[in-house]
Amino acid sequence: MRLDSHGITTDLPAGWEGRIALRRSPDPAGRSGFETRSPEGVGPTGHPAEAAFPVAHLANFPLPGDRGDFGSGAVDLMTAEDALVVLAEYGPECAGTPLFSHRGLPSALRPDMFSGSALQRAIPGQAGTQIWCTVANRAFCVYVVLGRQANANRLLPQVRSTLSATRISAR
Amino acid sequence: MTVIVVLLAAVVALLALLVVGLLRSHAEILKRLHELGAGLDDGSATASAAAVGAAGDGPRPGRDFQVMPQMPSPPEREGFGGVADLVGTGPGTGEAVSLRVTGVEHDTIVAFLSSGCTTCQRFWDAFRKPRKLALPAGTRLVVVTKGAEAESESSVAKLAPSAFTTVMSTQAFADYDVPGSPYFVQVHGPSGRVRGEGTGPDWDQVRSLLGQAGADTALADRLAGDVVPKPDADAEREARIDRELFEAGVEPGDGSLYATPSEPAADVPPAAGPDPRD
Repeated sequence: MRLDSHGITTDLPAGWEGRIALRRSPDPAGRSGFETRSPEGVGPTGHPAEAAFPVAHLANFPLPGDRGDFGSGAVDLMTAEDALVVLAEYGPECAGTPLFSHRGLPSALRPDMFSGSALQRAIPGQAGTQIWCTVANRAFCVYVVLGRQANANRLLPQVRSTLSATRISAR
Repeated sequence: MTVIVVLLAAVVALLALLVVGLLRSHAEILKRLHELGAGLDDGSATASAAAVGAAGDGPRPGRDFQVMPQMPSPPEREGFGGVADLVGTGPGTGEAVSLRVTGVEHDTIVAFLSSGCTTCQRFWDAFRKPRKLALPAGTRLVVVTKGAEAESESSVAKLAPSAFTTVMSTQAFADYDVPGSPYFVQVHGPSGRVRGEGTGPDWDQVRSLLGQAGADTALADRLAGDVVPKPDADAEREARIDRELFEAGVEPGDGSLYATPSEPAADVPPAAGPDPRD
């Protein structure tokens, strides 16, 4: 099953599904009536002047509609056999910087790279890892969550397969 | 006495005339109905069937009955075999969406709706109250509309329920051979088999329809589970016994095979030894 949007293309393996979307931007005029902004003008969906970049969520479980960039709302639903891959793009000024110095999407994820302390939201039993990289001159954070750390050997082949089937094209 | 007999004869003659008249009238009504295309036999080419399409003779499954106005008729096929995963876009967000329907643990109810049809509005409203839907456990509801080339994306975005994923995909309508909106297909996730499909005027009726189909499938699965395949060892043993009996002169249907222990058959040959026919 192919998913293609915003220069991110993936052929999802069996059992996997995904979404690729631009992060929601706030209404510049604040007309929505739902925005509660700080005095600095920052609201729940960011600053009006902020540039929006795509976020891809790939998972081997049904993704809920309401998800945060780094999987909040989805990780709560994960079972021990589930895995979530997030590809979050950063601004072009980040590409090639030391934090994003890794070239290409990670292809050799190992169980010892995962930790409960790397989770954006700590949930007992889950483990995650974050890898910053530059692909096609675009800066990405690859964030992977495993439903149960003890199942890493069983889940990581699926994650590696998903990442290896994912291509990023230049803007 | 003679008078009574004459009177009875007159009454009988009158009744006979009445019956003949009624039969003739009934025949006339049947003839007219037949001319109007309301014949009961398959061979009668009815006007409604001809209007649906010219292809095919004889009964056509799924088409030869009337449904409620505004309700799409089931497609012209015995059973549905086009289950596919769903790929499309999210309404109003431009989000690329792919949903796995087959090869997964959960079942999926795919609700094919439109932003324009009156009947669909009842389902859009119902899907805003997910707790009242009473979805079967382990079942995911996905709403599918046609793509932006055939639907108003802003209208779909306004109607889309927040609790369920809505996908705009014209391809899904083609993949699932959807005859019109609203239409519902329930897919068994692990096998990718359709458990039920159809439509109705409101969610309660559709849920009842799908529930009935699910119960039928579960019953069929249970019955299929009772048919235990014969182990190889048993089959080999049976073949060996048949062979030895045949070599001993006991052919299929031999009376000795059906003798009870209290009535030993006289013609039972010895298990070992020369064949008496030799």
